[in-house]
This record gives sequence, C-alpha cells and structure tokens, in this order.
Amino acid sequence: MKNHKVIVVGGGAAGLQAAATLKELGVEPLIIEREMQTGGKVRRWHRLFPDFTSASEVLATLEKNAEGIETLCGVMVDSIDATGVTLAGGRHIKADAMVVATGFDLFRAELKEEYGYGIYDNVYTSADIEDMLNGDGVRLKDGSAPGRVAFLHCVGSRDEKVGQPHCSRLCCITAVKQAMELRESFPDAEIYNYYMDIRMFGAGYEEMYRSAQEDGEVRFVRGRISEASPTIDGRVQIKAEDTLLGRPVKMTVDMLVLAVGMTAAESNGRLGVGLQSGGFIAPRDLFTGAVYSPDAENIFYAGCATAPKNIGETLNEATAAAVKAAEFLLEK
Amino acid sequence: MDGFLRYYDHFVLPFTVGMLVLFTVIIYKYVRWFVRMPKEDRRLVARGIFTKKTAQATGEVACEALGHRKIWRVNPTLGYMHMSLALGWFLLIVVGWIEATVHFSGELTAPHTHVFFKFFGPTSHPTMTGKFINFMMDFLLLFVLSGVALAWFKRLRSKALGMRRTTRHTLWDRVAMTALWMIFPVRLVAESAASGIDGSQSFLTGAIGRWMVDEFGIAQVFNISAVAWWVYSLVLGAFFLAMPFSRYMHIFTEIPLIFMRRYGVRSGERASSFDHFQIEACSQCGVCIDPCQLQADAGINHVQSAYYLRDRRYNRLRREVAENCLMCGRCEAKCPVGIESNTLRLNSRSRLNDQPAEGRYEYLRGVDGSCGEGRTGYFAGCMTMLTPATLSAMEKVFAAAGEDVWWADRNGGACCGRPLRLLGEIAAAQRMTDHNVELILRQGVTILVVSCPICLRAFRGEPRLADIEILHHSQYILRLVEQGRILMSSDTMSYVYHDPCELGRGCGIYDEPREVLRRLGTLAEVSQNREHAFCCGGSLANAEIDSTQQDAIARTLMAQFAATDARVIVTACPLCKKMLARHSSRARVADISEVAAARAVAAATP
Repeated sequence: MKNHKVIVVGGGAAGLQAAATLKELGVEPLIIEREMQTGGKVRRWHRLFPDFTSASEVLATLEKNAEGIETLCGVMVDSIDATGVTLAGGRHIKADAMVVATGFDLFRAELKEEYGYGIYDNVYTSADIEDMLNGDGVRLKDGSAPGRVAFLHCVGSRDEKVGQPHCSRLCCITAVKQAMELRESFPDAEIYNYYMDIRMFGAGYEEMYRSAQEDGEVRFVRGRISEASPTIDGRVQIKAEDTLLGRPVKMTVDMLVLAVGMTAAESNGRLGVGLQSGGFIAPRDLFTGAVYSPDAENIFYAGCATAPKNIGETLNEATAAAVKAAEFLLEK
Repeated sequence: MDGFLRYYDHFVLPFTVGMLVLFTVIIYKYVRWFVRMPKEDRRLVARGIFTKKTAQATGEVACEALGHRKIWRVNPTLGYMHMSLALGWFLLIVVGWIEATVHFSGELTAPHTHVFFKFFGPTSHPTMTGKFINFMMDFLLLFVLSGVALAWFKRLRSKALGMRRTTRHTLWDRVAMTALWMIFPVRLVAESAASGIDGSQSFLTGAIGRWMVDEFGIAQVFNISAVAWWVYSLVLGAFFLAMPFSRYMHIFTEIPLIFMRRYGVRSGERASSFDHFQIEACSQCGVCIDPCQLQADAGINHVQSAYYLRDRRYNRLRREVAENCLMCGRCEAKCPVGIESNTLRLNSRSRLNDQPAEGRYEYLRGVDGSCGEGRTGYFAGCMTMLTPATLSAMEKVFAAAGEDVWWADRNGGACCGRPLRLLGEIAAAQRMTDHNVELILRQGVTILVVSCPICLRAFRGEPRLADIEILHHSQYILRLVEQGRILMSSDTMSYVYHDPCELGRGCGIYDEPREVLRRLGTLAEVSQNREHAFCCGGSLANAEIDSTQQDAIARTLMAQFAATDARVIVTACPLCKKMLARHSSRARVADISEVAAARAVAAATP
C-alpha cells in the first residue's frame, strides 16, 4: 500500500470540503468513510435553514468539488496516531497528515423514554421529519394529516440526566424550520414549540424565528415537556409547565416531534486522541488552535467532531484544517 | 490483701493506671449511652435478656469478636490477622490466668500478678500439666506475634493482604496502634529474659532466654529483664489509656452491640444514643473502602463508611461527607461488624436537613390519579412514568392474567417519599408516604404490585400497610407464571441481570427476576452480582456527585455486562434502566417486565 499524503477520516460535509481543498492545493488525499456513500448527515436533510436551500444542492456542490478523490466507503477507522490510521480489523494505513472529520451522532431519542419514542405511535424525531419531507411528506401513522403538532426542543441537549450538558445549537432553528415546513403543508394545523430558551445564533436565524411567530402562526410555549402518554385514539398527551404563565399544561396532540441534539460520536472514544468531558474531540485550544490536535502535529480537526456546528461553520473549519495540513506537509 | 503487696514492683504502675482508666471510661460510656437510649429500646433489652437470644449472642461474640468469622469470609489473610490478635490475646489472658491461679492456689492477688506472672511467679513448671501450660503460653504468644507481623506488613504493603486501600488514622489511633504493635514483641523479650534467668525449657521463651544468657551473660540478662518489664508495662498502659479514645474501642464495643442487636435494637432514621454502640464498634478495618464505587471509579477518598463513622464519632462530620454516598449498601454487605452504616448516614442527613413539613405539600390532599377497580393494586411510581415501556408491559401482563387492577397513580400521583427521605427530609417524606398509604388503604387492596424498587422499599417499611402483600412486579410476574395464569415461551435469547440496589440489598429480592429470565432464555451472571452487585451510579441518594462521576461508575458496571456477551441487559428499576440504557451501545437494555410481557400469553381457559 502506497504512503498517502493526507487521510481524511470521514466523508461528510467537513470531510468532503477538506478533501476538495487539499486537492485544490495540490495534495492528493484519501477519504475514508464508514457509510456506504459519502455525504454524511447532510444527505438526510430536505431543506436547510434559514433560507430553505435544498440540502441536495449543497451536497451536489461539495461532491462535485471532491470529484475524483480516492475514497474508501464502508470502511471503519478504529484509531489514529501520528503514523497514520488503523482500520477496524487491524489494517494500518500510513499517512503524513490526517484530517479528522468524524462528525457527530444523533441523540438516541429512546433514552428519553418518557416521551415514548419507539413506544407510542406518532412520536417522531426531527431527523424522521426530514426523512418524511424527502419522501411522501409528513403524515401520521395512519396516513392522515396532523391537526395539531408539538415540537419539543432540547431532547438530549442541556440535559444532565442523560449526560448531555452541552447545547447542540442547531435544534432550535431546526424545529422552527420544520414548524414552518409543516405550516406550508398544513395551513390549518395548530403548531406548538415547547422550549426552555430559544437560541438563534446564526445569520438569519432570529429573522426566521420571528417570521415563524408572525407569518407562520407557530405558537411558542416556554417549558419543557415532562412526559407524554398515549391516548386510546392513537394521539399523544403531553404534560408540561408553561413557565411564563406559571401554569401546568396538559395537551393532546396528533404528533410529537422531538428536536434531537447532537452527541459526541461514540467512535471518538476508540480513536486514541484526547477528548473533552462530553466526549467531543479536544482541539489544542478554542481560539487560535481550533483545527490543531494537541496529540500530534500532523493531526487536524474539522467540523462537528470537536463541537456542534452548522454547515457553514463546518465548511469554513474544514477549509482551514485542509490549509493547515497542506502547510504542514510543505514545511516538512 | 497479702497478695496485693507481696507481688509488687514499681514497673506495674503504668499498666495499673492504664487499666483503671480504661475500665472507668468504658463503663462510663456504656452506662451513659444505655441510659440515654429510647425507652422502647431499653425495654427490648430487658425483655430479651432471659431468652435464648442471650445464648445466641454469646455464641456470636465468640465467633465474631474472637474468631472474626466475617472477615475470614471477605479475606482469609485479614481474618487470620485479626483472629490471631483477638483470639490469641484472649487465650493468653485465660491460660495465663489459669496458670497464675493454680500457682497462687486461689489466693486473692492484683491483676498485675496475672499479667506479669512470669516476673512474679516461676517461668516453668515441672509437672505434665505445667509443661502443657508452658507450651500453650509460648504457642499462643507465637500465634499473636504472627498476627502482629502481618499487621506490620499490611501497613507497609496493604495490597499484599488483598486490600487496595487501607484506612488513614487519627492521632489516638496511631498511639494505640504503635503501643499495640510493641506489646507482644516486648513481652517476648521480657518473658524470654525471665525464662533465661530461671532456666526454663519452654520452646520459645525458654529457648530465646537460654540464647540470651549464652550470648550476653546472666548479669546483662538481668538488666534486659528489668528494662523489658518496664517497657512492657508502659506500652500496655499506653495502649489501655489510648484505647477508649481510639478505634480499638471496637474490641469491647462489639460485644454490647451484638447483644443488643440480638434483642432487636436497631438504629433509625433519627439519631439515637444506640448509634454510639454502632459507631464505636467500627474498627476502621477499611473493608468498606474497596467496595465503594465512589472510591474506585470517581476518585473520592474521604467519604467511605470508615471515614464517615470516624468523623461522626469525633464530632467533626462535615455535610459533604454525610451526603456524598450512593447509599448503595455494597460496603454494608461486606462490613465484618454488621454496622448499619446506611441507616446511620441517613440519620446524620436527617439531623442536617430535616425540617417541619406543616404547611408544606398541602396540595397533596387533592392528588388522586387512581383508576380501575380490583383487589390487586398497582403502583407504578414517578420514575416508572418516565419509563413508559414498563407501564405498557404491565398493562399487557395484567390483561393476559385477566387480573382486575386498581391503578394507584395511572393519571399521576404523589411521590412515595423515599427520595426525600434518603436526603434526610424525613418529615416532608412522611407526608408523601402518608398520602399514598391513605390512598392505598382507602381502596382496600390485598396485593400491591410496585414497579419501582424505591417505592417498594418505602411501602414495605410502612407498618400501616403490613396487612397488604407488597410485591415487586418481578415477583408478581413469577407468581402468575407459577400459578399457570400466564404462559411464557422461551428461546435462545441471552440475558444478563443487573441487581438494583434498592431491590437486591434493599429488599432482598434476588431470585425472582432471575427465575423469570431463566424461563425466557439463557441467563449469564457477572462476578459482582446479588449482594455485591455494583450500583449503576444513578442513585437518588447522592446529590453531591456530578454526571461525569456517575458516568464513570456506570462504565465499570457496563464493562462487566459487556464481558458476558449477553444480548439483553435486564434490570428491574426504572432509574437503573435509564442509567444503563445511555451507557449501552450494543446490548439492548430492558426492564424485566418488558422482556416478560413480550413472551407472555394468557393461559388457555380450561
């Protein structure tokens, strides 16, 4: 096996962008992706916030830029060190530098069993909604259109009880975007968002949130849902506290959507690089060393492997990591 | 009185003073503690004294205080060390007393004449009995010395005796311990010197005495003897003086504790004078340190039962030490003295946190989320509401069995109170328990099935519910199967079972869940199971540790399960289920009700 210049671990948005940038800079990278095709989590999205750009358009651009780059799909990287990567099964591939772009895992909504995901009908995650939007559209289990929908923010984020103390940042805007998409599909539906804080950090996000309230008539209730239970007619009863009114709320909805957070990739633990307390990979520092590894000078980080990020931030970081990797090879 | 004066030398003074102080302090302490005990507890003692319990207690004292049987079970080397010191010393005193009494023909003499008999009396006896006694005394001394040698070795290298960690001690403890370690080597020198002067033939002291005379000359041996007896008396006196203020107080305190325990006296959720007997019966042996998962996984080294009891004894208990405990009971299960450290810790917490509950929780009066009718009650508990798969499973089980069920908290209910109780808020907890007890009694059920082991423990400890059979759902499901009311099919699925602390060590329910699983498929076991099972880390009793520390505790537990290759990790507590589920990547985690309900069908009607 030839000695690769740079191995990019992960073929999602960050990996594709990093690989494309390296190629542009004249370094031939190798992408190793554990799934059967590249594209990562972006592939599952329908449209992106805050302007409803089609996710497939963005992905098409990323893939076009990365065209012709050597890619191993369906191959799992077990660990990395300064000499290269070791694949699951033990094979070692040598490289001069590595860009780790392993992304994140979606929070398993089953762990918040009180919301009944996987137990009751008509409880979905935000990822399921994207699947439905990519398919035949959003429908209840019996195929009918929902009359009342509740979105719940912060499922698996900012929740010590499930060991996820961090904010996943994107679930707020995702729930708002999906609420507006449902409004589009079901003009007469009642749509609620249950939240504890609304965090609209990106350009255009706050505007989208405002538009959801004013134009979309999406109702926002400050209070986390404490538990859900099924009704005899297949609907879901939710209990919450409206903390602005200081009143308990009991509501029966046709559909409960859980805005699931981003958790550190489970595979991070095996990689052999330093982790932060929540399991995300630890960069050298959070300011001027965000793409560097403190473990080895030829390992670089990009994207959600180190913290939850949106696509724009991820692509910028991937570019930066690729440039720094190329610089490292040049100086060597 | 003649004997008192005839056998006297100044060197006996330190010993005599020490002994007098020792017994004065001990008697003062015991009388004071006993008199201050609640009247009901003293009545229990009075009622128990002339029953067979006294004989049983005497037997237990021999086994435990002398033989250290329970330490033997945990760790044989450590058991031998403690036994050689306790039993060896005890027999030395008894045999020495016989030897002296025979020699003085029953003449009334001071205690020091027995203790320093080899100084005042002859070191050897020509008769067969005398030779036997000589041999015994040397043999017993050797026996004790072997224990002392092990104790020295343990201080240097605790791992060698199978203890990863050993206790850190107070100044009193260090004084007493140093004295104790010197007593027997010095005694060996003193008795050997006396034997050498006498020309005794005994195998140990006689032999060393002869060697001393050969080596140093008889005049020098006289000097050695004079110094050695003084030092021996001094270290004995120092040990006795320090003992009632040190951990060695356990030597005597375990005895009244064993008796009172046999008579039925227990510590409670509010502190009582009886607690002193438990606290001072702790030998600080440190057997409780290794099983503590806070120590092993979370790096917390100052809260274990030995330290908690020590701090409480010396009135320097800090809130954090009382509260930083999972109350899982692993250490209690291993305690050689059987100290109820969880109960004691609970009453420390109640002293810190309990406050009157009048006027609080008035809203409870209106809470009644019960529904259905039946002689069988079902109390899910608030944590089960958060694991609704268990609710669905129980619904299916009840339907398959054709049971008419009264659901106590179907549409919401009040907490059983135990979580607050564990944090020491006894009065508030009692209000919640009262609310539930009244609700349950009003309905008149004969059986109450409970899904949460925390609630189960709360209700089982409630005297007003004594006429109702209170079962965990694992027990109930097994009963339905055994009675033929539901049928369960088995296949090749592999299970491993996690014992929840409150269900296992708390309620003694280990077998029923396993029996259910054996009827479903194959059951693997982990090494730390049943009364030694690990806590999942999610205990409600500890509000001190953070989630990363909880995670560290859970990971050790999960590693045990992963080693079994079982495909389903089954537990029987909603809290454990949540904790295990988020740490399990491959194996499925389920409550026992879920796996049972998935295979349960109604028995064909005859």
